[in-house]
Amino acid sequence: MDLGLERLRNMIIDMGKLSDNTVSTAIDAYVQGKDMRDRIYGWSEELRMLQDEVSELAVELLARYQPVATDLRFIKSCMEIAYGFSRFGRYAHDISDVFGIFGDLSSCDKSSIKEAGEHTKSMIHLGIKAFNERDVELANKVRKMDDIVDSIYLSFVKRAAQGSGTDLKCTVSGTLILRYLERIADHATYVGESVLYITTGERSPRK
Amino acid sequence: MSSSGLRRLKGRLAYGLGLLCVLVAIVPLASILFEVVKNGISAIGIEFLTSPPGVFDKPGGGIATAIQGTLILVGLTCLIGIPIGLLSGVFLAEFGNNRFGRTIRFLNDVLTEFPSIVIGILAYSILVVSIGSYSAIAGAVALSIIMLPIVTRTTEESIKIVPSSIRDAAMALGIRRWRATLSVVLTTARSGVITGILLSVSRIAGETAPLLLTVLGTQFFFSGLNQPLDALPLRIYRNASLPYTFARQQGWGAALVLIILVLGLNVGVRLATRGRYSTGRSRM
Amino acid sequence: MEKFKVWTEKLNAWFGENHALRDVSINVKENDVTAIIGPSGCGKSTFIRCLNRMHELVPGARSTGRVFLDASDIYAKSVDPVTIRRRVGMVFQKPNPFPTMSVYDNVAAGLKLNGLRNREKLDRAVKRSLELAFLWDEVKLDLDKPGTSLSGGQQQRLCIARALAVEPEVILMDEPCSALDPVATAKIEELIASLKTQYTVVIVTHNMQQAARVSDNTAFLYLGQLIEYGATTQLFENPKEELTERYITGKFG
Repeated sequence: MDLGLERLRNMIIDMGKLSDNTVSTAIDAYVQGKDMRDRIYGWSEELRMLQDEVSELAVELLARYQPVATDLRFIKSCMEIAYGFSRFGRYAHDISDVFGIFGDLSSCDKSSIKEAGEHTKSMIHLGIKAFNERDVELANKVRKMDDIVDSIYLSFVKRAAQGSGTDLKCTVSGTLILRYLERIADHATYVGESVLYITTGERSPRK
Repeated sequence: MSSSGLRRLKGRLAYGLGLLCVLVAIVPLASILFEVVKNGISAIGIEFLTSPPGVFDKPGGGIATAIQGTLILVGLTCLIGIPIGLLSGVFLAEFGNNRFGRTIRFLNDVLTEFPSIVIGILAYSILVVSIGSYSAIAGAVALSIIMLPIVTRTTEESIKIVPSSIRDAAMALGIRRWRATLSVVLTTARSGVITGILLSVSRIAGETAPLLLTVLGTQFFFSGLNQPLDALPLRIYRNASLPYTFARQQGWGAALVLIILVLGLNVGVRLATRGRYSTGRSRM
Repeated sequence: MEKFKVWTEKLNAWFGENHALRDVSINVKENDVTAIIGPSGCGKSTFIRCLNRMHELVPGARSTGRVFLDASDIYAKSVDPVTIRRRVGMVFQKPNPFPTMSVYDNVAAGLKLNGLRNREKLDRAVKRSLELAFLWDEVKLDLDKPGTSLSGGQQQRLCIARALAVEPEVILMDEPCSALDPVATAKIEELIASLKTQYTVVIVTHNMQQAARVSDNTAFLYLGQLIEYGATTQLFENPKEELTERYITGKFG
């Protein structure tokens, strides 16, 4: 069974790297106005397939070996994390869609998005690192950073609701992207919480 | 010759040698049976089996007294020997794991090897002298002393063979120890115990020496516990040394009856214990 | 508040010089199945044999500490061990029906040998016990066949019926399925689940999956000491002690 667990681990790590890359590329593409849609779509699809593979391997390990304790929690978490990573792919896909829908957005103020993007990127990094090293401290950090991303999103939306300046295109696209970033951030915290669950068996309360 | 050929030859030689030894061992038994049947069969008849001995030098008469005597002796002996032997065997098996038990066991084993004539003398000096005459009871006592250690030993061994899981199961049901031993362990050891009793009965049915000193032998039917009694081995002994042909023939007949009795006992109980009393085998 | 049926207080047991159990204190809840797990030689069988005072039957064995059955110490001076054994029944690893007895006699043995002679009452008790042991339908036409003519799984159910016939309150099982095939094992596990409504069951097993399937609470013993004791789901999902974690994930044992 140890071989199976190792394989599972490696698959998660690969998914982590890929989803990290995908999200970063999507954010950078938007900020810089580049069209990376084909790439992003491809990676998102790959992430979805990897998630299926993880699921299958996890179920096989459960059926064959009836694992308990840490092993059991690890397998359960891997399934949840894999889902989270596939979601990253999906949202990255959606972020690149914005480019297609709205066309040229070079005139918009992308500072909030840039800020949120940086936070989100590092949250993903930290989450993956926490999983690799089973570091509960890092997992907690991720949770705190989620609050920041949430507040950026909320303030942007509030400003947009008050109708201050710029054109509709920028507001709507910005809202959409920040919404996606906020969701990615949430999933990154779930990854962190899974690390907590693996090591201590406790679950933190959902927000 | 090749080595495998040599080995095969050795194998066959060993087999042949073994077979020869077995035949040599069986031959005396076979020849005895043959002789007894050959010489004794002619004496068997209704009169022979149902009438008391007649006059020595004329034909007529039989061994009915001896048959009755042997049966009575065996019965009395069992009455004395079996209960004491059983309980001793049970006692040694359950409580004999100490110095005391080991001593008793040793003495018991010594008693099995005791010369039966010595036991006869013992019974004579105690019972015959005090009662005043040769008596059936003295004979029964002497024979039971011979029977006792055999029954004790085989009972103890049979009980020890009963697996401890049976005992555990009985105790775990909350059954008192003595009840568990008697009702569960002893019944499980049934076939071994019965075989032991059977062995000892066959032995005592044919013992002659102690009978010479205790019951003496007589021409009359049973007339009381304190009176002499006739018995098959005594009849055989008496008749074989007489110069008259038909007396000797009667002796052979008595020997045949005795052998049939003993063999019959063996076969009969063996058949009976095969069915109900065997410990059985489970089909797993 | 759940009631405890049996609890031990600092139970220690020896086989001669061998200190087999050290200060074991466990509370067994009423009408629950409690499993005792641990590697070979950890004292599991010794422990349950102390619960029905069978341990003391081994020459050279002794124990200290208290064991309570319904709030009275079964090791008190005035207590007759035989009455305890009627209230706390036991089923052993290898099925051991009495070889010279029929199915009927086997089940009735505990009652008959304690003095019950009434044929009707015996018949009822035998039927009831065999039904509880999920064996009635299979043997009801063959009650006079020897106990040993049944298959292994049936024999074990026969032993369970025999133990149930004396109407105990607690049933101890010492690795009851280890000599059986998976189908027979499954039948016995089903049986255990149905028994717990009326009885308190303590089962020793070296098979952790079985403990996880069958029990409500699990105790882990190692080298004679109680390492951890808790609800089965909690112990198997998130054990508190590292030793427990290592044992149940198969790192040793």
